[in-house]
Order: sequence, then structure tokens, then C-alpha cells
Amino acid sequence: MKLSLQQQIYFFTITSCLLFVILVISILWSTQVIDVASQREKYAHKVQDHTHILQQFITSENIAASNYNTKKWLSLENKFKELLRLVPHLTPQQHTIQSSIDSKNKNVIRLFNAINTNKLKNTEAIIKKHLKIRLLTQLEAIRSDSIQLSTLAQKDIKNIIKNQIIFVLSILAIVIFTLIYGACSLVKIFRTSLEEVKIAFEKNHSGHFQKIQLSNKSEEFTSIAIAFNVMNQKLSSTTVSLESMKKIVEERTHELERLSNTDPLTKIANRRALFERGNAEFTRVQRTKSQLALMMIDCDLFKNINDQFGHLFGDEVLKNLCKVCNKEIRSIDFFARYGGEEFIILLPDSELSGAVQTAKRIQRSLAKNCTAFEGKNVCVTVSIGICTVSDKHENFEHAINDADAAMYQAKINGRNQIEIIGDNFSH
Amino acid sequence: MMLLIIIGLVGLYLNLQHLWEPLKHSVKIAVSKTPLSTPFYVAKSIKSFDKTCVNVEYSEVLGGQIAFDKVMNGEVDFGTSSDSVIAFKSLSKQPFVTHAMFVQSDNDVKLITRSSDKIKSVIELKGKKIGVTKGTASEYLLSMLLAIEGLTMEDVKLYDYKPKGLIQSFSNEEIDAIVSWEPFVYEALQLFNNKVKIHDTKSLSTLSFNLISQKADNQLVEKAKCVIQGLQTAINYIISNPKESKKIVIDELKLDPAFIDWVWPDYIFKLGLNGSLILNINAQATWAVETQMSEFRDVPNSERFIDSRALIQVEPGAVNIPL
Repeated sequence: MKLSLQQQIYFFTITSCLLFVILVISILWSTQVIDVASQREKYAHKVQDHTHILQQFITSENIAASNYNTKKWLSLENKFKELLRLVPHLTPQQHTIQSSIDSKNKNVIRLFNAINTNKLKNTEAIIKKHLKIRLLTQLEAIRSDSIQLSTLAQKDIKNIIKNQIIFVLSILAIVIFTLIYGACSLVKIFRTSLEEVKIAFEKNHSGHFQKIQLSNKSEEFTSIAIAFNVMNQKLSSTTVSLESMKKIVEERTHELERLSNTDPLTKIANRRALFERGNAEFTRVQRTKSQLALMMIDCDLFKNINDQFGHLFGDEVLKNLCKVCNKEIRSIDFFARYGGEEFIILLPDSELSGAVQTAKRIQRSLAKNCTAFEGKNVCVTVSIGICTVSDKHENFEHAINDADAAMYQAKINGRNQIEIIGDNFSH
Repeated sequence: MMLLIIIGLVGLYLNLQHLWEPLKHSVKIAVSKTPLSTPFYVAKSIKSFDKTCVNVEYSEVLGGQIAFDKVMNGEVDFGTSSDSVIAFKSLSKQPFVTHAMFVQSDNDVKLITRSSDKIKSVIELKGKKIGVTKGTASEYLLSMLLAIEGLTMEDVKLYDYKPKGLIQSFSNEEIDAIVSWEPFVYEALQLFNNKVKIHDTKSLSTLSFNLISQKADNQLVEKAKCVIQGLQTAINYIISNPKESKKIVIDELKLDPAFIDWVWPDYIFKLGLNGSLILNINAQATWAVETQMSEFRDVPNSERFIDSRALIQVEPGAVNIPL
């Protein structure tokens, strides 16, 4: 049977109280028994004292004298008989001694009467003396018996006290043991259970939902653990952890960033992203004195395509153009839509000649990859303006303007051309 | 494994118990065949000597005098003797000691006359033929009875018989009265079919039965201590279980239960060695000398026949010898 903590505390309290009551009862009982034994001892002393008086009386008086008055003797003997009648409750062994005293007192009375009745008229002195000695012997026997009675009573008192001390010490030892054991058990249950609850709370706090596993079972803590575990289960199923929340936010932010930097039609970087990256690259070039080429691409006669094939096809043409450009540029290059049918490619660490080569590849590739319209390939060309960033450029926009100017020049030169604006040469 | 440990512990316990048992001495005790020896019969029946240091063997004898003789000639270690025997024997200054008194009766020795003689008082015994067992309580009681009435032993015709012989002589009408002790008094009462008168002599003599031995050395005192321990257990049993104790004696001595009921109220079973015993022995010895019952002329100090060393170890409260 498993007791609850409350029941255990009640149990310990009741047990301790019960033991205490037993202790009190035993002490009261011992007091009573000692009192009885003391009465016996007192009685034995009285018998002893009275016997002594009788002995003195017999020794001093000439009881066999013809004119001897027995009045005094009778008074003493009656007192003695009265005393023997007031015997306290005795143990069987003491009762035997009491019987012996009674019997010897009868002997005394009978002997006295035998001596006194005849007054030992014809008896020799030695016989008188002998009978008197015999009388004294009987009284001495009574005295010895009363001493023995008193010794037994004293022994009883000593034994009772000794047993009582042993009993009290044993009960106290049991009480102390019970209390220590009980206290230790309860402290252990409280300490370990509270620690386990605390750990569970701490784990919860850090988002690790963990059940309370009690190493010391108790009704009270088990109910707390059950309630906690139920709560925990609900929380774990409804709560998103901080970590996962961060991850989601990061993902969403990243997606939003991506969306804000991407052109929705061509899925390449938009104008905002272009300026962000372009400014960064421009600053880098100024700081490191490295090279940066800008390529402005414009789809030739795009208005005509829109007009002839419709805007949707125009969108397809732009998508195809972006696809071709993406294929021909390096991984470190940055390709963005500048607006309408205009695109810009940033070519970091690229010399002008490298940029020209890329532009040529784009034109060649575009010529090969036309866009299909109703089973017929529609090919477009691009005019490309290239410039390299130099000290003369104050900012990124200034560099774009140069690329734009070059591109415009290419348009003027008949389209599907590559024009360059650099430090050394310009078309 | 557990079983082996338990077996080992039990074995050790039994072995230790065996080692703790005191060294057993073999002791032979001459026990007088009388209900006064009840503590010995009860001790044997309840095996109270088993837990002491002695293995006891009884040699049953008729009367304390024979027991005394057996002690003195070395046939037995201990004997049970009445204070009268001790008193008479003390005169011969034999080297014996009394270790403990274990029972007393103030009505064991009785005077029997024929109902037809109509003897009412002791004084009427003057000139009569009276049988006694010399050197015992019977002779002492008769002399006391006569003294109280102002007579002496010379006023009667004294005949000495063994207890059985007393009854026989009384039956043969060789003598007019006998003074004997139980169970012979009861035997006479049964034999003569109530045609006898038993005089009330209660209280005039006290008979005690005592454990005696030769003058004791330390080893004998040790043995006496163990015998007394057994007697103490038996006496406590008698006090607490009188019915069962009576039955033990009846069965042991093959007695008529009515006889035990007859004598039992007069018996007081208790251990003791006190001044009254010394005075009693002394008084009886003096009496024997002064009334010329004994051939010896001087009374030795009775205390030299008391050895309290054993009893004081068993029941100190029972020893009360005045300094």
C-alpha cells in the first residue's frame, strides 16, 4: 500500500504520539508499581520494627513469673496482629514469606500462652530459659522474614526502575529512529521531486518540452507531474520554438528580399538590385583600384516586335534574351533589367576586351537562339554599349550614362553593334 | 548463497550456545523421602537443574539422619536434613555445613495416643511408655511438650525406634504414645482407622529442611550454588503452581492425595539462611545437652555450621545472619 505524503506525515505523527502515550502510560504504570513496592517495603520495615519491640519485650520481661501481667504483651501483640492484617498486595513469593510471618506469629502467641498458662510451675530454670529462647527464635524468624520481604521489595523497585529505564530508552530510540527515518524519507522525496520539477521547468523555458519523471513516487508530486505533463503536451503541440520562428522569419525575409530585387517577368535582378550592387562594386573599384566593366544591352526594334507579335510575345523575347545572356556571362558577373528592353551587365575584374568578347558571344548566341512564334523563328538583335569604370566617373550613375551613350551610339551605327566608351577610345 | 549463510549462522549459534553452557558437575544428593523434599521432586520434574552447572542424581533415603550419614561418609555430595538433625549432629562437631533452608513446617512432628486411652493433655503422659526416634525432632518435641507441663523425660518411659518401628510398636501396644513426623503420622492415622488421637502440637516445634554437605571448599560451594539455583526455580514454580506441584509429589512418592492435602497447608517453601535457623539449631543443641538427651556436654557455636556463600550468590535477600 503506497501512502501519500500527507498520509505519511499523519502516520509518523500518530506513531510518535502513540509511542509517547505508551511512554507516559508505562511511566505512570511504573510509578504505580513502585508505589506498591514501596508500600510493601514500608510494611516490611514496620513488621521488622515491631518484631524488634517484641524481642526487646520478651528479653526484658520475666514472662514466666507467677504474678506476670500479660496486659502489656497483649497490647503489643494485638498491635502486631493488626499490622499483619494490613498487609499490602504481595507477589506470590512475597505472599509465601507473609504466610511464614503469620505462621510464626501464631507460634509466638501459642508459645507465649503455653508458657504463661502454666507459668511453668514445676519447670527448671534452664527449661524456662530454653522456651524463652525459642520464643525469641520465632521472633527472630519473623524479623528475618520481614528483612527478606523488604529486600525483595527493594529488588522489585530496582528491577522496575531498571526495566523502566531500558523501556523508556528503547521507546525513545524507536521514536528518534522513526522521526529521523521519516524526516529523511520526506526530505528525500521533497528534495528530489522538487529538483525534478525544477529541471522540467528549466527545460520548458528553453523550449525543450520534457515530461517530469519522478524517481520517488508520491501521490502529491505525481499529481503535479501529471498536470505538468498534460500542460507540456498541449504546449509542445501548439507552440513554435524561437529557433524555428527565426528560421521561418529569415526564410521569409530572404524571399521578400529576393522578390524585391528580382524583376517579375525575366526573373533576373531589377533596377533596385542593380543600383545596390552597382554602387557596391563602384565603391570597391574606387577602393581597390580594380577593374569594372559595364555593358548596356538594348533589344533592337523591340517596339516593332510588340506591335507585330503582341506584348506577350515581346515578353517571351525578353525572357529568351535574358536566358541567352545568363548563359554567356561569368558567375561573378551581375545581370539586371534596367528598364523596358534595356539590360545592364556588371563585369567585375574584367578588362574592356573581355567585356567586348562577352558582348560578341551574346550577339552570336542570340542570333542562334531565336524565339518561336507560331512555328516560325523570330530573331532579335541587340545593341550593346560598353564602358569601363575609371577615375573620371563620379558615381555609378555616371558610368551607366557612359554605357548608355555607347549603346546609343551602337543604335545610331545601325543596330546589332557593339560600342565602347573607355579611357583611351571611344566610338 | 543465502541458504548457506543461514545454515552457517544457525550452526554458529548452536555452537556458541554449547560453548556458553556452564561446565556441568555431577552431583549426588541424598533426598529424604518426604513431601518436605518437594522442591527436589519438582526440580527434577520441571528439569530446573538443566540450566544450572550440575547434573543431579538423587539417592532417596528414609529420614534426614540417613541422608546426613550418607553425606558424612562421602556417599553423596549433598543431603536434605532437618534442623533437629543438624542440631544434634553439631554436638559431635562433625565437619558439615548447611547451605540453605528450603522448607519449613511448624506442624510436622506430632504426638499420637490411642483414642481409647482418652489422654487429653500432655501431663497425662506421666509414667507412660512413649516411643520416639532419638536424636531427631521427635525427641525434641516430646521434651518440649513435657517441659511446658512441668515434666521431664524422666517422668516418662522412653523407647527409641526407627520411624517404621514406632508404628509397629504402637500397633503391638508395646508403647502408649509415639512422637513421629509425617508421613508416618498420617500412616498411623490410616492404619489405626481413626482410633488414634493426634494432639495439637502445632507451633511448638518448627521443622525446617536444609541442604547440607561436608565442610565446603570453593568447588563444593560452586556446586551448592547450582543446586540452590535449581531449587529456587522449583520453589518459584511451587508457589505459582501449587496444584501441579502437589501432583508431582503424589506421583513421585506414590502418596495418597489426601495425605498431601493434609500436610500441605503447614509447609512454607522458601529459601533462607537466617538468625532464626542459627538460634533454632543452637536452642535445640543446648536443649539436648541440658536435658541430657545427648552424650555431648558442650554446645558449639552454630554459626560454624552455616555456609552462606552459595545462597548469597543466588538470592542475597534470603541471607540474613546477624553479625
